[in-house]
Amino acid sequence: MPTLYYLYLSFALFFIGTAGVLLRRNALIVLMAIELQLNAGNLALLAFSRSLGDLKGHVFAFFVIALAAAEAAVGLAILVGMYRTRQTINLDEVATMKR
Amino acid sequence: MSFSLRLIPLLPFAGATVLLLFGRAFSRQWVHLIACLAIGTAFLVSADAFFTALPAAHESGGLHDIVWAWFASGDLKVDLAFRMDALSGVMCLIITFIGTLIHIYSAGYMSHEKDYARFFAYLNLFCGAMLILVLGDSLPVMFVGWEGVGLCSYLLIGFWYGQTANANAGKKAFITNRIGDFGFLLGMFLLFSATNTLDMPGINAAAKAGAAGLTEISWMGQPVAFWAALFLFVGAAGKSAQIPLYVWLPDAMAGPTPVSALIHAATMVTAGVYMVARLGALYLLSPAAMAIVALVGAATAIFAAIIGFAQNDFKKVLAYSTVSQLGFMFAGVGTGAFGSGVFHLYTHAFFKAGLFLCAGSVMHAMSGSGDITKMGGLGRKIPWTHRVFFVCWLAICGVPIFSGFFSKDAIVAGAFATHVFGESLSWVGPVVGTVLLLAALCTSFYMSRLYFLVFSGECRADHETQHHIHESPIEMVGPLVVLAVGAGLGGLIGFPGGLFGHEEWNLLGHWLEPVVGPELHIPHAVEVTVMAASTAVAFVGIFLARAFFGGGYREPAHQFARSMPGFVALVRDKFRVDELYNFFIVRPLRFVSRGLFVIVDRIVIDKAMVEVPAAIVGVFGRAARWFQAGDAQRYLATFAIGVAAIFYLATRPPAPDAFKVTIQGTAVDVDARGVAGTAGRTLLYDFDFEADGTVDRKGSSPTAHFVYEGTGTYVIRVTIKDPRWGTSTRLEQKVRIQ
Amino acid sequence: MHQLHTQTVGLPATITFAILAGLTVIGALFTITRRNPVVAVISLVGTFFALAGVYASLSAHFLAILQILVYAGAIMVLFIFVVMILNRDEITRVAARGMVRRGLGVVAAGYVVWLLASVVANSSATPLLGGPLSEPGADFGTVASVGASLFTDFMFPFEAVSLLLLVAVVGGLVVSRSEKQEDDAEETARRRAQVATEIRPESMVGGPTDATANHEAAHH
Repeated sequence: MPTLYYLYLSFALFFIGTAGVLLRRNALIVLMAIELQLNAGNLALLAFSRSLGDLKGHVFAFFVIALAAAEAAVGLAILVGMYRTRQTINLDEVATMKR
Repeated sequence: MSFSLRLIPLLPFAGATVLLLFGRAFSRQWVHLIACLAIGTAFLVSADAFFTALPAAHESGGLHDIVWAWFASGDLKVDLAFRMDALSGVMCLIITFIGTLIHIYSAGYMSHEKDYARFFAYLNLFCGAMLILVLGDSLPVMFVGWEGVGLCSYLLIGFWYGQTANANAGKKAFITNRIGDFGFLLGMFLLFSATNTLDMPGINAAAKAGAAGLTEISWMGQPVAFWAALFLFVGAAGKSAQIPLYVWLPDAMAGPTPVSALIHAATMVTAGVYMVARLGALYLLSPAAMAIVALVGAATAIFAAIIGFAQNDFKKVLAYSTVSQLGFMFAGVGTGAFGSGVFHLYTHAFFKAGLFLCAGSVMHAMSGSGDITKMGGLGRKIPWTHRVFFVCWLAICGVPIFSGFFSKDAIVAGAFATHVFGESLSWVGPVVGTVLLLAALCTSFYMSRLYFLVFSGECRADHETQHHIHESPIEMVGPLVVLAVGAGLGGLIGFPGGLFGHEEWNLLGHWLEPVVGPELHIPHAVEVTVMAASTAVAFVGIFLARAFFGGGYREPAHQFARSMPGFVALVRDKFRVDELYNFFIVRPLRFVSRGLFVIVDRIVIDKAMVEVPAAIVGVFGRAARWFQAGDAQRYLATFAIGVAAIFYLATRPPAPDAFKVTIQGTAVDVDARGVAGTAGRTLLYDFDFEADGTVDRKGSSPTAHFVYEGTGTYVIRVTIKDPRWGTSTRLEQKVRIQ
Repeated sequence: MHQLHTQTVGLPATITFAILAGLTVIGALFTITRRNPVVAVISLVGTFFALAGVYASLSAHFLAILQILVYAGAIMVLFIFVVMILNRDEITRVAARGMVRRGLGVVAAGYVVWLLASVVANSSATPLLGGPLSEPGADFGTVASVGASLFTDFMFPFEAVSLLLLVAVVGGLVVSRSEKQEDDAEETARRRAQVATEIRPESMVGGPTDATANHEAAHH
């Protein structure tokens, strides 16, 4: 398959992820949408890596997965803390820094 | 000659600092010990400076102590410097000596007071400020002391600030003094512009030399010296309670009695007299200013003395007496008899402090009441207070040998003998002298009235109060006795030895000579006549008062009151000067202030300058609040919009604002090269010369040539495309083909 | 050279890519449109599985396995856990306020993506985008080759990432457990969660079932 189709797929995923981040009020869904964006990036990395025959893209994708794991861990912890203090995970209700 | 003069004011300041900071932690014994030690040591240092160091320094203008250069601006250089010559030395001794006595007295008088440490701290602070006032070598330093004593006066008048009347009295004193201070400042500025210096020796030297700056005519036909002297006298009149600014002093009696004795009788109120004497050379330059000083002094002397007739409060009588005696002093310095003025200042300090402290002692005995209509017959019950009062009474009445006699006599004789007013104003001297003699008669009368009503006859107080009458403790009686000795014999220091051919017997005159010039020469005839006259008025006053009030209110007193009820009421109401001021000054001022408050403050400042800008900012703020809702997702959306905007701007093909068109007949050449940012980019250009949708020329060349078929106005449309991004920019331009 | 590879793409490969790409996009759309978070999580898992397939078609075998192990396995389990802890069904799908700006943001994002896509489309003839420049070697994308690269050229970043994960673990602990006030709130939340679990445990069972059904539907 030509690389450009992978890129189209990557763009589509990224756009869907962005829309999710911007539109959904549930913080959990927003976190998942962020995962989608990261995966879109990964896909582009791997596509170019394949096209160029260079493994650096794979290494970067590996790092991105590690980062995504860390992000999910901290993000979910924040979400749990947020729910404890405010009894909500709706982002538009969390408009102040203090509680 | 140098001497650490700075020690003298520093000691009381140190005492005040310690007491203000830690006074609450100390026991009463420690508090008054610290305060008395501070002022007592200051007295010893002053005495040391005056008697051991000063005599050697008379030639060089006295002891001089420069602490540091205070400020310098252009020609104006002011040092924080102290100078002790005979005049300031005498003042120093008076202040520290009487100050010490009053500190000791206060330890007894204020012993039941809650704010013991605060009282002594203020008292020390006052002494320090007063010492700066007299020791200051230049007018600004003096002004610091001048304001300092004003502040302490305010603090001490309002010492019992719990009662509104006391606080108001403090404010009245402060505000009235501010009016005077304004005059002081104006005088100071005028002097600086005229003599280029603010050092008092420098000003006096310039005045003695008749400096052009001082003698040139400035306004209303009067020289600069007149106006400077007059402005300074306004300051002096405020501080020393002269007409028209005397009104604060009687009210100042709201303060504790030792304060009245120290500040409002012996020391602070004499600052004006001191200042005029200090700048004597300046005043001598302007006979008119001297005449004003003398006349205001004489008028105040008689005016206040008359008010003293009808006052029924012990301290009020003494307050008006003080105003009156200050008038004597101003009359003295105003007639050029500076030595006599200072002499009276000195004797007055003793006998008036003594009288006030007796008043304190009497009120102490009378359970705090000062109403003399309720007193009488106290002589037997408080014998020591009685004896002291007796001596001081004779002194103020001017009975020979007692101190007041000599000083008052010197002033009156000086007024008759003076020549400072020159030909055109020569009437001033005799007029002042005569008025002063009348004032002396009045003084003798009202003081005797006070004496008889308080100490003779039967007690008119209620039984309960009578039961409690007791002599004051030793720490109060002790200073009283010392003051009585001073009041009785202190006059000998200025003994008119000239009368017996021994000028040197006049010790004070001898001391002051290097500063204020030689004593006025008074012809023997004048001297003897005045002495006889003043002795006569003293005794006439006393006997008249005895006829009216000896042993209590007598029939002639009642008869007099009945015969002129209106006048008596007017005098009792202090000629209603306060009401007059209230009507002509306070009420218009209030009216204007209220107007300013409503128009300037409420409307201009509050509304136009505060609320309107706030509302405008508020509008922007509310708009920005929509933007800053605190919602992270909306921030992110804004961020995305921003990114898109940057992408749009960065990927659009760069194009000139307008492309170049060259017309030759019907042929046009178009050049649509971009201004910048074209490097490394492949751009395509579509040229549509008639803007009809058909592309006439296209390609990667930014230039194109075209020939129109006919004349007319055409629109050339150029579309620049970036094939990589798929973006384009369209430009249009109108051309006219002729 | 590259033309050769493009031409060798056979129909089966194209069909496989189309199916996987379709599953990916549908899963992603489900993820961001479903109300029930459990459905969303399962859709995401489906997306990740499909993506792993796409990775495999790119000869990224190691990353494909990693995608399934780490993403579909570990991270998604974490999400499921949180969903169970909070146990909240979303009532409104999209945020209530600021829709104008959010909408504009989405349009802006679409514009950027469209711009990028048009670059790709306009450059489709170039060797880089037109096809693989070279035939991958036998060991391209294997665990051995990627591992060798990780532990030689990228040794330092690799260690740094391990540190990042450690920090994330500690950070997660700190954030989810701090002050007394939070502890009190935790108490409340736990009691609530307890009550909620006792009342309707079936909602937790029902969620995944629905998601699986959707997943199956997308597959056929």
